[in-house]
Amino acid sequence: MPLNTSPTPTSRSGGCTLTGALSVTTHVRDAVSIIHGPKGCAHHNFSLLHATGLDNDRAVIPGIVSSALLESDVVFGGEEALLRTIRSACSGGAGAVFVLSTCIVETIGDDVEEVCSRDWPVPVIPVPTAGFLGGTFHHGVNNALIAISSLAGPVEKDLTVNIIGEMNLEYEVEENYAEVLRLLHSLGLPTNIRFVHNLNTWDIASLGAARLNILRDPSLVPVGEHLSRIFSTPYVPSFPSGLSGTLAFLQAVGNACGVDSRRALEIEQALQAEVLADFADIGDQRGVFSGPVLNGECSHAAQEAADALHIRVSTDPELPALPVHPSVGTAGIRRMLHRWRRSLHA
Amino acid sequence: MKQIALYGKGGIGKSTTSANLSAALSERGLNILQIGCDPKRDSTRMLMHGRFIPTVMDLVRERGDAAVTLADVEFKGYNGVRCVEAGGPEPGVGCAGRGIIATFQILEKFGALSGDVIVYDVLGDVVCGGFAMPMREGYAQEIYLVTSGELMSLYAANNICKAIKRLASRSTGKCRLAGVICNAKGQPREEELVAEFARAVNSSLVEFIPRDRVVQLAELNKKTVIEYDPQSAQAGHYRSLAARVMENTNLTIPTPLEIDALEHLAYSYI
Repeated sequence: MPLNTSPTPTSRSGGCTLTGALSVTTHVRDAVSIIHGPKGCAHHNFSLLHATGLDNDRAVIPGIVSSALLESDVVFGGEEALLRTIRSACSGGAGAVFVLSTCIVETIGDDVEEVCSRDWPVPVIPVPTAGFLGGTFHHGVNNALIAISSLAGPVEKDLTVNIIGEMNLEYEVEENYAEVLRLLHSLGLPTNIRFVHNLNTWDIASLGAARLNILRDPSLVPVGEHLSRIFSTPYVPSFPSGLSGTLAFLQAVGNACGVDSRRALEIEQALQAEVLADFADIGDQRGVFSGPVLNGECSHAAQEAADALHIRVSTDPELPALPVHPSVGTAGIRRMLHRWRRSLHA
Repeated sequence: MKQIALYGKGGIGKSTTSANLSAALSERGLNILQIGCDPKRDSTRMLMHGRFIPTVMDLVRERGDAAVTLADVEFKGYNGVRCVEAGGPEPGVGCAGRGIIATFQILEKFGALSGDVIVYDVLGDVVCGGFAMPMREGYAQEIYLVTSGELMSLYAANNICKAIKRLASRSTGKCRLAGVICNAKGQPREEELVAEFARAVNSSLVEFIPRDRVVQLAELNKKTVIEYDPQSAQAGHYRSLAARVMENTNLTIPTPLEIDALEHLAYSYI
């Protein structure tokens, strides 16, 4: 029975533009994110970000303030309230101020860009985030990343790699980063910055130094394109998914950086064989895929792992469930196989 | 209590008509409240002898709505007509429509919406929900269109018919078209044309107000025509309008015209 009782189907990518942008801007830890709108827009986002941070063992208070518009600001325009809020944020020692718009200020036509462009002691950067314009969570993420990239100036290229657009609200954000880090190390490539994950304003200055940007997923391609125009940095469009996808990732990153990936590929193939051998006990069984996100990429990675272990996947609901989650790298497949084992042995 | 609203194209003479109608109604011994629903705030100026009274929104902006009282926003004008101006934001910022909604809420809170007749003088076009507020449940049930025989003026009046029709179709919608007032520009066969337009939108012409120099003279003397030249033929037209408004029971749901039909109608009266 479908559990979603809302009138239209929703998904992670269908969320509010504002929330998407905040999932990025609040990770610039010394910055203040101003939500220019009624205070309720700030409160529920604050709660969500705080709770998600706790889930990821990170007790950080998100740096969010609201311009707290009331009806009179809507009637007379909210720019004065925004000015006051920016002034207060600047005087509090913020490294940068991000100004995120809401539905009502876009409706009444506040000129947020003009207010931000005035002479402020720290960078004040507008991020368009009004949800009613039809954007989604992903648009908010992309708008925020593109806006924040304006904090980076021209720098000399080095041998490092940037991680772009991690899903800061996903449960396995650190595990997924660790897996990509492991793969990069096996190619001998150091990382530059996690743009944007738990950093400070001054860290962003070196954004253009990396010789490659690795995007978290293909919805960030507009960000990859933007950074490639500004800093001439090429990008790989996604973290690796699945066994063969991980090998392809190593090859693509190696090629992009002019590094010989043959050794790294051998090591990875050996590791994957080891992982599959570890799960030989669930081979030759039958199950049915289940999970909240059964997109093409997830299903492909899961099917590939099932085939490698000779697990027969059917649609018979009586069979044990094989939980499918978005997984990153060989380590992601291993975690998925642990879940399958629990389910098949239950 | 009777609540009427005058709508029409900008510059067509709604405020002049409203102020003279309020003045004529007050002569009948009635308790009249005129509310200017336009950020330009000049609806009640002739009733106030040229004074721009403080607007509800100005006072809310300066003091916050908790500190505003009825005495701050309601002013006695000619012959005791009570005058209120909604006001609104500076041109180009904020949301004037929301300002009208906020003004109505404040007037409700004060219990100001009382008397024998309330005359709402609303800006040119019903550009958003805020300017349809006077047509909502509990406010003006009788809508008068002010128009001349010019096509653009009829076009605006026809658009307002669409708004009335839409609001009348709601379960809570009680507003109706009460009639068309022709504030003439002096073009030939103007009365016939506007009367024909009124019939075409399922209503009737309630008063033909001819073009008369006395209107400008009264304005330059910062008075309504009723006050400036009570014996004039023009004052007679406003009194006649007042009488028609008080006895009018012909409230209809309008049938707005398609643009082609409207143009054809105007063309046929060249």
